[in-house]
Amino acid sequence: MNRADRREVSRQYFSKERLAEHHFRSFNAFLDYGMQEVVTEKETIDTDIGDKEGQEPVWVELGDVRVVTPRVREADGSEELLYPQEARLRNITYSAPVFMEMTIVRGGEEEEEHVVDTAETKIGRMPVMVGSRKCNIAGFSDEELVEIGEDPADPGGYFIVNGSERVLMTSEDLAPNKILAEYDSRYGDEIQVAKTFSQRRGYRALVLCERNREGLLEVSFPSVSGSINFVTIVRALGLESDEEIVHRVSDDPEVVKFMLENLEAADVQSEAEAIQTLGERVASGQGRQYQLKRANYVIDRYLLPHLHEEGIDDEDVRINKAYYLCRMAEACFELALNRRQPDDKDHYANKRLKVSGDLMRDLFRTALNKLARDVKYQLERANMRNRRLSVNTVVRSDVLTERLEHPIATGNWVGGRSGVSQLVDRTDFMGVLSHLRRLRSPLSRSQPHFEARDLHATQWGRICPSETPEGPNCGLVKNFAQAMELSQNVGDEQELKRELSSMGVEGIADIEGVAHRTADD
Amino acid sequence: MSQVQSKAACPECSGRLEAGEETFCSDCGLVVAEDYLDRGPEWRSFSDDSENRERTGAPLTRARHDRGLSTEIGRSRDLSSKKRRRLARMRRQHNRARISSKADRNRVYAFTEIRRLVSSLGLPQSIRDQACVLFESAQSADLLRGRSLEGFAAASVYAVCRTAAVSRTVGEIADVARASEAELKAAYDALNRELGLPTGPIDPAEYIGRFASQLDVPKTVEARAREFVTEGRERGLINGRNPSGFATTCLYAAAIEADHDLTQREAADVAGVTPVTLRTAYYDLIEE
Repeated sequence: MNRADRREVSRQYFSKERLAEHHFRSFNAFLDYGMQEVVTEKETIDTDIGDKEGQEPVWVELGDVRVVTPRVREADGSEELLYPQEARLRNITYSAPVFMEMTIVRGGEEEEEHVVDTAETKIGRMPVMVGSRKCNIAGFSDEELVEIGEDPADPGGYFIVNGSERVLMTSEDLAPNKILAEYDSRYGDEIQVAKTFSQRRGYRALVLCERNREGLLEVSFPSVSGSINFVTIVRALGLESDEEIVHRVSDDPEVVKFMLENLEAADVQSEAEAIQTLGERVASGQGRQYQLKRANYVIDRYLLPHLHEEGIDDEDVRINKAYYLCRMAEACFELALNRRQPDDKDHYANKRLKVSGDLMRDLFRTALNKLARDVKYQLERANMRNRRLSVNTVVRSDVLTERLEHPIATGNWVGGRSGVSQLVDRTDFMGVLSHLRRLRSPLSRSQPHFEARDLHATQWGRICPSETPEGPNCGLVKNFAQAMELSQNVGDEQELKRELSSMGVEGIADIEGVAHRTADD
Repeated sequence: MSQVQSKAACPECSGRLEAGEETFCSDCGLVVAEDYLDRGPEWRSFSDDSENRERTGAPLTRARHDRGLSTEIGRSRDLSSKKRRRLARMRRQHNRARISSKADRNRVYAFTEIRRLVSSLGLPQSIRDQACVLFESAQSADLLRGRSLEGFAAASVYAVCRTAAVSRTVGEIADVARASEAELKAAYDALNRELGLPTGPIDPAEYIGRFASQLDVPKTVEARAREFVTEGRERGLINGRNPSGFATTCLYAAAIEADHDLTQREAADVAGVTPVTLRTAYYDLIEE
């Protein structure tokens, strides 16, 4: 293709506001179903009312959440539509009111459950991305944009908080829910480790499976200090017999040999014994009953949470967890036997990009939790003072608003990351475009990280090979390639699984009734 | 006394001045200026992002019972479990000791209530601070005895709105308050009587903007309604009338004049008055 043709293709490609397309798609998806998903996950706000004798429990059920378009409320109480230019000039926030259906329910113990009050109430304000679906200028023609003082060439894709334009930096994270095998060293010896960042609903847990110097496998995961014997944990998960464990790890004779060493060293033989051993680890010095309870809780809550699914019993997921751990063990052994190479962390298949919608989702989740805590407190206070409980008088809308605006205004995101939001670079038009299409690696810029900074072959067509800053951020801050397309989250995992099984993907054999797990996620 | 002092000379002995954290005369030692701000370079390193750049906390505010000067016992991940448990106990004791008296506790409750009211009415921050100050004065004047806290919180917000010329009607506040309208009125009467609030009659124009956006009438109608208010004031029509009723009457009159669809019932409802009130005021207004 000659240059003129290529130019024509590019022109066509970028004629339809594709420059900040990834921001729009991500944020629109967040508005369309991300917010509702977060609310549905939360489901209810429970209170301590009813803990005392002779009191009926009270809780709040959360319903549909709805965002309107940005508007401004003046001191005299009048409310009107807000356009981005006005927000910039008056140093106010371009945000839209969020409404949620809430139902206060009382009863359940002696009385029958009854609804005390139900209403759709304003729970706060959500900053809205300029140019997104909920933006007041969405769908405006160039003339209309000029009319309200907006630049028709402006790409949008940023937020306006207190009058300053903030863009959310796309961040490049290691892919969650994937087994990564690599070498590590313990006291000078080389050992093999299989890692998984297991992620579900904003909770992230690192699960490690390592083959130590004696060739024994150990598993470690959050809430358990140190590590636990591999055989103990799979037995606790319901994979009891020697034969089954070996078979689930591998049929390779050399791996089987390694596995037999492990089984020989095992100090528990049955599921009950294994759970008890685990209980002694997670709640040492406590009563037996409590230890069992705690062990079961830890298994269901902290071990490989991404294997859980909506509507499936925690008990049924356990065996899947055992199989998953066996696959991690297999990865360790294969690495030890040089059957495979360590996984390449810089390979783009092992990377996921967090775009504005994903970041807003994290923010909204913590803000909603904060709001829920406040509603709980307000309900308890109102109840204690014998006031009538009503939805309108227990919601403080500034709680959510502050939690949403403050991180965007300062860049201090939830989870302690800073510099997530940045002031849009308005040096020139190209500066804006480049800024909106920039992505950042969370690796510290004060450490060398040579491999992470290198240009990787898999970045071809995705990341611009030449645009990166000089100096400490070199290779850590990158920019999208011109025609890069970002595939977005799968909205409905169940749907995906059905689709895969219709295409002939088989789930794990001999477990019926348990939903099929896809190969990697 | 001379306004401008020469930077170089001491006002007492004309000696040489030396500037540092404080400016003093190097001969007689007279301190000419105290400046607690350290204007020297920043020596801390921020290159590794872990250090917090802040040197100070949030500004003082009257909207908190302790003026924002609270101490919190933080959390740390890298502590032994023994030490962590001890800190948890200290935190519990600290939280108990934070509120020393019943009056303090009431203030905390009332301030959160004021904060809630202000946020759900969409009022600015300054209103919140003033309402909290007003509540505090009511408390120190011992007005709360036998009256409800919620009522006083709502009344403080109502009173401050009135004095700041962003009036809300009693009904509007009672809708979002935990207090009943009677409690609010009792509290407001006490505030007004004992503290001598600087309130006059409410100007109906303060309601126009809000009612206009609630009734969704065009800007031209709103502007005409404001003219009606001015006219009504000159003709003495607002005397002895409910200001919110008169405001909505002006909006109704302006809407009728501009052929904008607006019923008497709708107009009366936003102000919380009856259509009859609106009608009588309307006839007085259009009668020349």
